[in-house]
Amino acid sequence: MKTLKILLIAFLFAGIIMTNINCAKGPEISELYQADSPLITFRVELKAGSINDPKGKEGLNALTSLTIGQGGTKDLTYQEVLDKLYPWAASINPQVDKEVSVFVGEVHKDNLDGFYQIFSDLLLHPRFDESDFNRSKDLLLNHLKNTLRGTDDENLGKQALNFFMFENHPYRTTEVGTVQGLQSITLDDVKEYYKRVYTKDNLKFGIAGGYPKSLLDRIKEDFGKLPSGKLAEITLTEPAPIQKMEILFVEKPARGTAISMGFPIKLTRQNKDYYALMLANSYFGEHRTFNGVLMNRLRGDRGLNYGTYSYIEHWVQDGHLRFQLPHTPRRHQYFSIWIRPVQPENAHFAIRNTMFELKKLVEDGLTEEQFEATRKFLINYSKLWVQTSSRRLGYQMDSEFYGSKFFIDEIEKELKALKLADVNNAIKKYLNAENIKVAVVANDAASLKEAMFNNAPSPIKYSSPVSQKILDEDKIIEVFPLDINKEKSKLVKVEELFEK
Amino acid sequence: MFRFTFAILLFFVPLLLVARSEEGSKIFPYQINQVTLDNGLKIFSVPFPSPGIVAYYTVVRTGSRNEIEPGLSGFAHFFEHMMFRGTEKYDKDKYNEILKLMGADNNAFTTDDYTAYHTLASSAELETIMDIESDRFMNLKYSEEDFKTEAGAILGEYNKSFSSPFMTIYEKLRETAYEKHTYKHTTMGFLKDILDMPNQYEYSLKFFDRWYRPENCAVIVVGDFDQKKLVELAHKYYGNWKRGSFTLNLPLDPPQKKEKIVNLTWKAKTLPILAIGYHGPAFSTTEVEMPTMDLISQIVFAPTSPLYNKLVVEKQLVEFIEGSQGDSRDPGLFMIFTRIKDPKNISLVRDEIYSALEEIKNKPVTDEKLSTIKSYLKYNFAMGLNNADAVASKLSHYYQLTGDPESMNKVYALYEKITPDDIMKVAKKYFTKENRTVVTLVEEGTK
Repeated sequence: MKTLKILLIAFLFAGIIMTNINCAKGPEISELYQADSPLITFRVELKAGSINDPKGKEGLNALTSLTIGQGGTKDLTYQEVLDKLYPWAASINPQVDKEVSVFVGEVHKDNLDGFYQIFSDLLLHPRFDESDFNRSKDLLLNHLKNTLRGTDDENLGKQALNFFMFENHPYRTTEVGTVQGLQSITLDDVKEYYKRVYTKDNLKFGIAGGYPKSLLDRIKEDFGKLPSGKLAEITLTEPAPIQKMEILFVEKPARGTAISMGFPIKLTRQNKDYYALMLANSYFGEHRTFNGVLMNRLRGDRGLNYGTYSYIEHWVQDGHLRFQLPHTPRRHQYFSIWIRPVQPENAHFAIRNTMFELKKLVEDGLTEEQFEATRKFLINYSKLWVQTSSRRLGYQMDSEFYGSKFFIDEIEKELKALKLADVNNAIKKYLNAENIKVAVVANDAASLKEAMFNNAPSPIKYSSPVSQKILDEDKIIEVFPLDINKEKSKLVKVEELFEK
Repeated sequence: MFRFTFAILLFFVPLLLVARSEEGSKIFPYQINQVTLDNGLKIFSVPFPSPGIVAYYTVVRTGSRNEIEPGLSGFAHFFEHMMFRGTEKYDKDKYNEILKLMGADNNAFTTDDYTAYHTLASSAELETIMDIESDRFMNLKYSEEDFKTEAGAILGEYNKSFSSPFMTIYEKLRETAYEKHTYKHTTMGFLKDILDMPNQYEYSLKFFDRWYRPENCAVIVVGDFDQKKLVELAHKYYGNWKRGSFTLNLPLDPPQKKEKIVNLTWKAKTLPILAIGYHGPAFSTTEVEMPTMDLISQIVFAPTSPLYNKLVVEKQLVEFIEGSQGDSRDPGLFMIFTRIKDPKNISLVRDEIYSALEEIKNKPVTDEKLSTIKSYLKYNFAMGLNNADAVASKLSHYYQLTGDPESMNKVYALYEKITPDDIMKVAKKYFTKENRTVVTLVEEGTK
C-alpha cells in the first residue's frame, strides 16, 4: 500500500473570524468575516419551512418565500429590482426546506450598499404585487404538475420516497407543498403568513466576506424593526415503523427505472454516533465517487447504471459541485440509497443487488483496513466542502441550528477519536436490511410489482460477458429473497402524487 | 429542498470577462505561467490564494466535435469514462485507492470541443497527482470486458438525462440544424450509437492513440504550489509522452438556405417547450462577431430585456426564456429555449421572439445599455473567480478554444470595441429566417 502523505490543509480560510452575535435589539447575526474577500454573501435564515404550512394550504411557506425573493419592494417593482441587480451580476436566491427557509444573496463589495438596500427591502418591505404572486404560484404548481410528474424521474423517485417514508409526519409533503394546497392559497394568505412568521425572533442574519463592520449595526437596526414573536416549534411525530420491505410503485412513461429507498433514523449531527455512521456510509455509498461499495458493485462491475449512492441525512447536490448543498438542517433524518435509472429489465436485479450489499454491510461491517482508509479520506475530503465563503457560512449556520460546534472541524476531531468498533456498532444500531421503504418510478410498474411480489428470479441481462466471479455472485443475487410487505405496498399513477 | 433561481438565464451565459479592468489592461487578474515541454505538452499555472489546496486539470482538445466517423457519436464522452479503468502500474482499484487516501475530489467532463479531467486536493499531493494522471494519459490499459461493462454506465447516463424533454429537444435542434458537421450530435451521442458502443473496442484503442497526445493537451494547475517544483515534476512525469500525428478533417456545413421546422411530442406530463437555433460564428480572438453575439444575448434575453419583461414578468406567458451561443471552435448555434405555460400561446411567443430579434437589426442599442451589459459581464466574471477549481475551469475553457488561456484577455479587449453598428450588422447577418431551425415539443395529445 502506498504511504499516505500527511494532508496539510491547515487554514483554508486564514484570517477568518466566526462569531455569533445575539442582540436584544435586532435579529441574531452569524458572522464569517474575511477581510480580503471582495465577495459578500448574505444568508437570511427563517426558522420556518414546509412543516409550518397550515392544513389545506400546503405550499404557503414556499410561495411566500418565492413571492418575496422574486418580487418587488415597496419602492421597486420586480422588473426594477432585476434592472438594479443586473449590472452588479448580483443574485438573490430563496431556498426552502422542511424546517428552514433561506434567502441567499451574493454581491461584489463595490456594490454592497445598493445591494443591501434591495435585499433588506425585499425582506422588510415586500411589495406583494398580485403579478409577482401569480408568477410564483404558477412556477411552483408547474414544478409539481409538470416537472416532477413528467420530466425529472430521479427527483420524482426521491420525492415519492419522502412522501412514503413520512406518510403521517409533518415532513410528508414536498418542500413546495401540494397541488391542491398551492391552488387554494391567495395573496392575502401570503401577506398574513409574512406578518405572522417573518419576525425578528424567527429570523437569523448570516453574513460572510470583507464587509464593513458598520453594516452589522445597520442590519441590527433595520431588522430590529420587524415585529417580535416566535413561532411555536412544530412537534415532530415519530414516523410509522416500517414492516419488512414496503414498496411504492409509481407508474409513468419512462425510459429507465428510477429507484430510491430508505428509512428514518434517529440521528442528526447533534449525536456523537453521527460521525461513526458517516464513516460507514462513506465506505458504502459516498456520493458520486468510486469509493463506495454500491458504486463499484452496481456500476463498476456490472454497468447497471450511472451510479448508486447512500446518505445518512437529507442530501441535495450543490449545483454542479459534487458536494452537499448546505443550509438544509432537519431535526429528523433518514438513511437512503439512490439507484440512478437502470434499464427496466434490470430494475428487480438492481434492487436485489443493493439489498444484498446492504445486508453484507449490516452483518459484516468494515474491516480495520477499510475503516482506516475511509477515515483518512473523509478527514481530507471534508475540507474541500468549504472552498467558498457562502458554503462555509451555510455549514456554520447549520451547526448553529444543531447546537453543535462547526461541522467541518468536528468531522476531523470526531473521526480521529473513532475506533472500528464504534463504526460497526453504529451500523448495527441504525441500519438494517429488512425494514425499508422503496419508491420505484417505472414505465410498466405493474409487471415489476408482480415479479417482485412473486419473488421471481431476476437474472441480469448483460450486453457483454463479465467475469466468472461476478457471474457466480449474480446467481446468488438474482434469487436473493426480498421480504415484501404486500399489504403495505402499493402502485399509484404519477398523477396521484403530490395532489394533496 | 427546493431551490429557486432568481434568473435562470444566468446559468446559460457563457463565462466572460473580469472585474477591475481598465482600458488596455488584462481582464484576468492573475498571472498565468506557461511552460511547453519538448513533446508539445503545455503546462499553465496560476498561483491562487487557496492555502494548502491545488486544482489540477488535464485538458484534451478533443470532444464530440472529433467524432467524424459515422455510427461513433458519443465516443469522446465514452472514452472519458474509460480513462478511469486503469493502467498496468495503477489498475482501477489502485487508482481509486490512491485518490481515496488523499481525500481528493476527482472527476471529468466532456463537451463538444474538449474533455477535462480534474482533481481538487491537498497541495502536498501534487506529485502523486502528477504521477497517476500522467500514467493514465500515457499508459491506459483496459480489457474488452471492462470496456463493454462501461458501455452500460453510458446507457444509464443517457437514461437519466433523457427523462427530461429538454435533452430531447436539444438533441433534435442540433440534429436538424446541422447537415454535415459533427456538432450535429450532442456530446452524449445518438442512442443507436450508444447501444452499439460495446462493439467498438478496437475503435476505442484508435481513439486513444489519435487524441491523447501531448501536443493536443495541457495541464492546468491553480492554487497553492511551488512553480519550480511543478516544472521539474512535469518533465519527470510527462517528458516521455510521445507526440501523435493524426490530423482532423472536419466536414463543414454549407450555409443554411431554408428554415427548418420540427414538431415533437412527449409521452409524460410537460409544458410546451420551444427551441430556436440560428447558425452563428466560431469563437475568435480577432473578429468581433462572436463577442457581438454574446452582447446580443444580453440585449435580447437578459432579465432586463423588454422581451423578458413582456413574456416572463408582465404577460407571464412563459416560465423562463433564455438565448445565447456558447463559445465553440467551429461555427456554433445561437440557441433560444423557453417553456410556455399554455400550448395555445406557442405561436404568439415565437413571434415575440422574432420581433425582438428584428428590432435589434435596425434600432441601435444605447450607450447606456451597452455600459450596463459590460458592467454585468465584468462582475459576473469577477464573482466566478472565488475558488481554485473555478479558476482552473475557466482557464481550461479558454485554453481549449485557441490553445492559449490568454484568449480570455483578448476577447475582453474585443468587447470594448463593439459598437451599436456592429450589433445591427451581426444581427442582420445571422438572425434570418433561412438561417433558422425551430423545434417545438408538446405533451402527447395536445391539440
